[in-house]
Amino acid sequence: MAIKHTYLSLLILLFLSSTTIVDTPNEIKCITTQKTFEAGEFIELLFSTTQNTFPGLYCSHTYGSTIITPIFKNNVLYYEIPSNIGNKAGIIHWKLLESPLYGQFTITPKTNVTTLETYIGPPSIAAGGSDFSMMVVIPTDALDNPLKDGTQVNIKHQFLSSEENNEILTEHLISYKNIYSKKETGRILITSECLNEHSKEYDINVLAAIPTNFSISAKRHHVYADGNQVTTFVTSILKDEFDNVVNDGTFVDFFITNEVGNILKTNGSTIKGIATATMIHPDHKSRWTIKAFVNGMAESNVITLDYTQVITDFDVAVSKDNNMLIIGPLQSFMKQMIPDGLQVTLSIYKENIHIYTSTKGSRLGFAHFNLKDLALKKGNYNFNIKTAGLEKTLQFTKL
Amino acid sequence: MLKKSNKYLIVAILIGMVFHGTSIFFTLETTYDALIHLFFADHYANNWFEPWNYKWYTGFSIMSYPPLVHQAIAFLSMLGGMKFGLFCVALISILLFITGVYRFSLLITANKTVAGYASILAVFSSSFVETLHLFGQLPSIIGISILMHALPEIYSWLKTGRYYHLLSSLSLIAVTVCSHHVTSFFGMVFFIFPLIGMTIMDTSKDKVGSIKLVTFKIFFNTFLSLFKRILGFGLLFVTVILGSILPYWINSKNNPITQVPIPHGSRDNFLEITSSGLVFFLIPWGILLILLPYLFYRYYSKRYLFFGLSFTLLTILGTGGTTPIPKFILGDTAFNILTLDRFTLWASIMALPLFGEFAYRFVEGDLKTLMQSTFGAIYHRAIGGILAGLFIFMTIFSMSLGYFRPSQPQKIKMLPIVNFLNQDQHDQWRYLTLGFGDQMAWLSAQTNALTVDGNYHSARRLPELTTRAIERLENSKFKGVEGIGSLQQFLTVPKKYNLKYIFSNDKFYDPILYFCGWQRLRQLENGVQVWERLNIPPISSILPKEEVAKWQKILWGIVPFLMIIIAFVFNVQLPWLRALKGKAKGAPEYLSFKSNHASFPKGILRLSHIWSISLALTVFYGLYAFYLQNDSQRTPENVVLAYYDAIDVKAFEKAYRLIDPNRELSIAQYMLEISVTDGLLSSYAKLEDIKTSIAKKNDSVATAKVTTQWITPLEKIKKIDYKSLLKHKGKWYVQPEALDTDLPPDQLYSDNSTTYYNQGRRRITSEQTLHEDVLKQPVLEILSSKLVKYDNHYAIVGEIQNIDNAPADVVLKGTLYNDNDTKLASYDAKYHMKHKLMPKEVSSFRIDFEGIAWSQTKDSIPKTFNPDEFTPVSFNEQPTKFNLQAAGNVSVFDLYKKVTLSAIDIGRTAIKGTLYNSGIEEVTIPQILITYYDENKTMLWVDHLFLKEGIRQQRKQYFKYDLLENNAIRIINSDMSNCFVNGLPNKDIANKIVHNRIENHTNSQLQKIEHSNYSFIKIEINNYIGNPN
Repeated sequence: MAIKHTYLSLLILLFLSSTTIVDTPNEIKCITTQKTFEAGEFIELLFSTTQNTFPGLYCSHTYGSTIITPIFKNNVLYYEIPSNIGNKAGIIHWKLLESPLYGQFTITPKTNVTTLETYIGPPSIAAGGSDFSMMVVIPTDALDNPLKDGTQVNIKHQFLSSEENNEILTEHLISYKNIYSKKETGRILITSECLNEHSKEYDINVLAAIPTNFSISAKRHHVYADGNQVTTFVTSILKDEFDNVVNDGTFVDFFITNEVGNILKTNGSTIKGIATATMIHPDHKSRWTIKAFVNGMAESNVITLDYTQVITDFDVAVSKDNNMLIIGPLQSFMKQMIPDGLQVTLSIYKENIHIYTSTKGSRLGFAHFNLKDLALKKGNYNFNIKTAGLEKTLQFTKL
Repeated sequence: MLKKSNKYLIVAILIGMVFHGTSIFFTLETTYDALIHLFFADHYANNWFEPWNYKWYTGFSIMSYPPLVHQAIAFLSMLGGMKFGLFCVALISILLFITGVYRFSLLITANKTVAGYASILAVFSSSFVETLHLFGQLPSIIGISILMHALPEIYSWLKTGRYYHLLSSLSLIAVTVCSHHVTSFFGMVFFIFPLIGMTIMDTSKDKVGSIKLVTFKIFFNTFLSLFKRILGFGLLFVTVILGSILPYWINSKNNPITQVPIPHGSRDNFLEITSSGLVFFLIPWGILLILLPYLFYRYYSKRYLFFGLSFTLLTILGTGGTTPIPKFILGDTAFNILTLDRFTLWASIMALPLFGEFAYRFVEGDLKTLMQSTFGAIYHRAIGGILAGLFIFMTIFSMSLGYFRPSQPQKIKMLPIVNFLNQDQHDQWRYLTLGFGDQMAWLSAQTNALTVDGNYHSARRLPELTTRAIERLENSKFKGVEGIGSLQQFLTVPKKYNLKYIFSNDKFYDPILYFCGWQRLRQLENGVQVWERLNIPPISSILPKEEVAKWQKILWGIVPFLMIIIAFVFNVQLPWLRALKGKAKGAPEYLSFKSNHASFPKGILRLSHIWSISLALTVFYGLYAFYLQNDSQRTPENVVLAYYDAIDVKAFEKAYRLIDPNRELSIAQYMLEISVTDGLLSSYAKLEDIKTSIAKKNDSVATAKVTTQWITPLEKIKKIDYKSLLKHKGKWYVQPEALDTDLPPDQLYSDNSTTYYNQGRRRITSEQTLHEDVLKQPVLEILSSKLVKYDNHYAIVGEIQNIDNAPADVVLKGTLYNDNDTKLASYDAKYHMKHKLMPKEVSSFRIDFEGIAWSQTKDSIPKTFNPDEFTPVSFNEQPTKFNLQAAGNVSVFDLYKKVTLSAIDIGRTAIKGTLYNSGIEEVTIPQILITYYDENKTMLWVDHLFLKEGIRQQRKQYFKYDLLENNAIRIINSDMSNCFVNGLPNKDIANKIVHNRIENHTNSQLQKIEHSNYSFIKIEINNYIGNPN
């Protein structure tokens, strides 16, 4: 309590007297004249005193504040600054308690580098010269203090055949360099050096910029609309404006406009710049107009494909026992049976009112509908059969 | 205590310990409750004095359940682990129950032989077997057992006024309340009140010499003379109940249960829902049902009159929703909170003394004499055989119910999951289990990681949970659309709860996880699939908790064990010391009120016969009706029902037997056909409802219109099928469905695609990921976005593109504001977008604002959940502005894009089309996203359609999509200034990469439609692959 009271009265005294320290009676004097120390060094503040009091030394620095108790020897007070304060570069303010003495000294970082704290990002940038990645290097000493401003850092990078070295001075404790992409894609390897200390290797991937227009082509086994074979669409090699092949996986949309203006869609992702998409053949005569897009960035030329009708006609018959509706044979362009799975749709109307629809795939050139299962009531029916873009109707009487 | 050992009691204890003691190891862990108690015990084992548990429901207070049983398990676990503790406590509960029944029976019947009989019967009583081996309700068993031990002491106090008995009974009551609070206050009403009545009756009898002479006046006078003791006991009783678990009462007052009641089988109408009737009525009553006339006759004799009333009330309350009476008696609130099965349990326990008496009289008493003299010795033996047979049957049946009808999924090995959570700081996020059953509690006990779910529904806190009648997210599929609805809210906005990992033990949930934007991480060695969601921040290191006063914590931690010690001193140690000193203790007072078992009334025997015969007839009729209903091929309706049931539970052999034998379809072919069908309906649907109407029928052919409702993880599907049915040799059969005959042209396919691998941390280290190992977030561009109003709800629609070079997982979060910039709602995009985008790929999106999205959850949540219904907002709070945050993360999964649109037919009301799978993965659930545009090609709305069938490789699938009705859509705001990508302004970041974008590039490729409100649509396709190659 005594200390607190003394301290308070001292503060009031200080507050009231606007006079300088020199005017007050002075038995304690600071005899340490050194104003800068190196981090990690043994630091001691010495005060000569004629009194028998041992006031604490109030120290304030970036990590916080503390009070140091002195060792008294031969009328000198020795205040040893603890290492947790002394290891950290920066300014230390001190104030001797029970006395008007105060002051400050500076701790400077060591002059040799132990680690280069390095940050780089983003790890991938676009080719073309406008995108960049930033390398930040903070040379630090053994006690993790950033070196003083103006320390020279060399940032070196290699790209294709060029190797560059940039000399940069640290400012506000850090040094940084923006590394711009070139027109080519590839990998930039980067390292840094400071006072003979070398960092590890860092890299930036330079990826292709956005694609430019391209062309497409189609490949198919035959021109027939059999609803079974597959047409393949292929793009030319997609490149950006700097002639770099776009990255693998670039998504290309293929829009197919058919003869009635409806739009079909397929897509492909590029591999080595080429996107491949496939589409199953239509099952009836069609004209396809195809155009591919990389949305908002690039588009292709327009190509047109014609598909020839394969089924010209088909028979519809009812089995003898009236239990089965048989459609077929469904024959393709060489009179071969159409490959299995051609869609055949049967719609049944009674007095022009739709009562039933069923869709079946053909098998071995025929499609069968079991009429017994339908359990139709007695009467007259209209059967409407649709397949391969063709349509037929049949009168049917249930007895 | 006993001067001579009661051999029946010893036999009961020995048999009981051997029978239950060995079987609990096979049953207890699969019960509903045991693992929950284990979880609580684990909490005490780690933090005895800390009532706050972070692991469930984003934190809850364990002061919401009496602590004794949990603390006992925790205490014993110090010796041999948690399960050791659990089984020890279970063994103790068995011992307490048998001895409790003995003491209670002795009190009621005053006959040691009868009490011995009762204790043996108690061992096999089906209600006890069910409560222990099926429900695992240890606190409830211990509570009622201790209460039964307390009853003789209460009687002695009231009768003699010796303070020793008062203290002893109160100490036991304290233990009861510390183990199960409900038992103690309902025990007061149903056990202690009648006991007081009986005591007054006995005292009156002492006064007048015969029970017959006791009139109401005498009874009332006796009551007045005993009033001081009764009142004293009553006051102290209430004090003990309140005092010993005071923190519980404080907690209940501070956190009243304000949640939507959760349906419980015991509240069902047992005649309608027969499975509930079986579990909550038939099994617990068991053979006692046959004895009901005897039980009522005895309990309504003058001495037991009050027990008779209590027994009647318990019996009625136990019938649940079968009659309106329980609801009328309890009131709506109590009826909806209490589980009514406990009343049946208590009724069956109350019946045990008289059951023992009946057995005694039947085996060696007057009933034997009467029956032998009336019907002959053979008849007596036969009836004995039948009764014993039924009794044993009921015991075995209840015991094995869990085996035949497992209530839990197969036992899951937890170690791989525990290890996964411990590795690589996975426990820094919350997790969720799906399809674990009550085993989730056991997982929670073993890991430090936290979950948003929990298994003690009274403690639920999140409005998403309390406003819906679901007890756990974990088993939400059993709660129908409402359960799935609640689950999907967590899956859509996982960031809110730091929910990153999901352990799925049920593939049913896979589609909803995928379409909500989750991705499969890997399958653990126990078969559990781990799902993860990207862009989720870890849990903050300081979590909120509700602090309680220190004295409460100390009281909670110390009182229960203190009460055990006190009860031990009064009930075991003191009598033991007295016995050692050789001081003979007089026989308890109640032993002097023996019943006279000299002549069994004939009327009751007759009545019992009539009752038994009518009961038997009812049972046989029930079985016959059951047979008629289940004879699968007797009628066309039955065959349809049986066929769909078989398909639903994947009993394909059974389904095959119902197929028209004339079709010459071999089982091999049928199974093959089944094996190639995959999709939402065949792999992920649960049949909820089926209605069959026979449309056309002659004597051998019929057409059935089958309307089925299926619950799938994504939506409720209504399907109408027309099935042809045939009668063949007196049995009805179903016609099989035609198979898709499509054959792809090639045998072997090859395909090239870019595959990706992200190795994460390159160095194997437990430290945080180095900055250079963190991939750049892919840059996205929001191409368009606007706030629209459709019908009554608001949505943000737009288009987003991945403009980077790596595939991206996209998370979109929309927030709505009103004119005063007050935040109204916030939600993430759910189904209406492709969550995974290849480089340069575009997806339309729509963000809906559902239930929990709104700030005032309580007012806005609709009563019934419907995935397509949204919450209207109050009129003075119109959203007028929006903020859209898009976040991309490199994703290497689920990048299959090979489904194409190969044919389309535009109708006036519907679009028919064909999808063609041009790749080499089988698509399980294809999804179509349909974007609507007006005549100026301005985007208005995004809709979706899940195809019910999958698409096999190189094959086609047909779809039909009904266009939206003529509902006007109003654009409220299309200002995109508040759109951000990876935290940066959308416009700036987009300009940097795509500086000269071709605006509305593919607008020329929009599909024209004939519609009064919309002029164009765009179709996009998203695919879920169930089993990636």
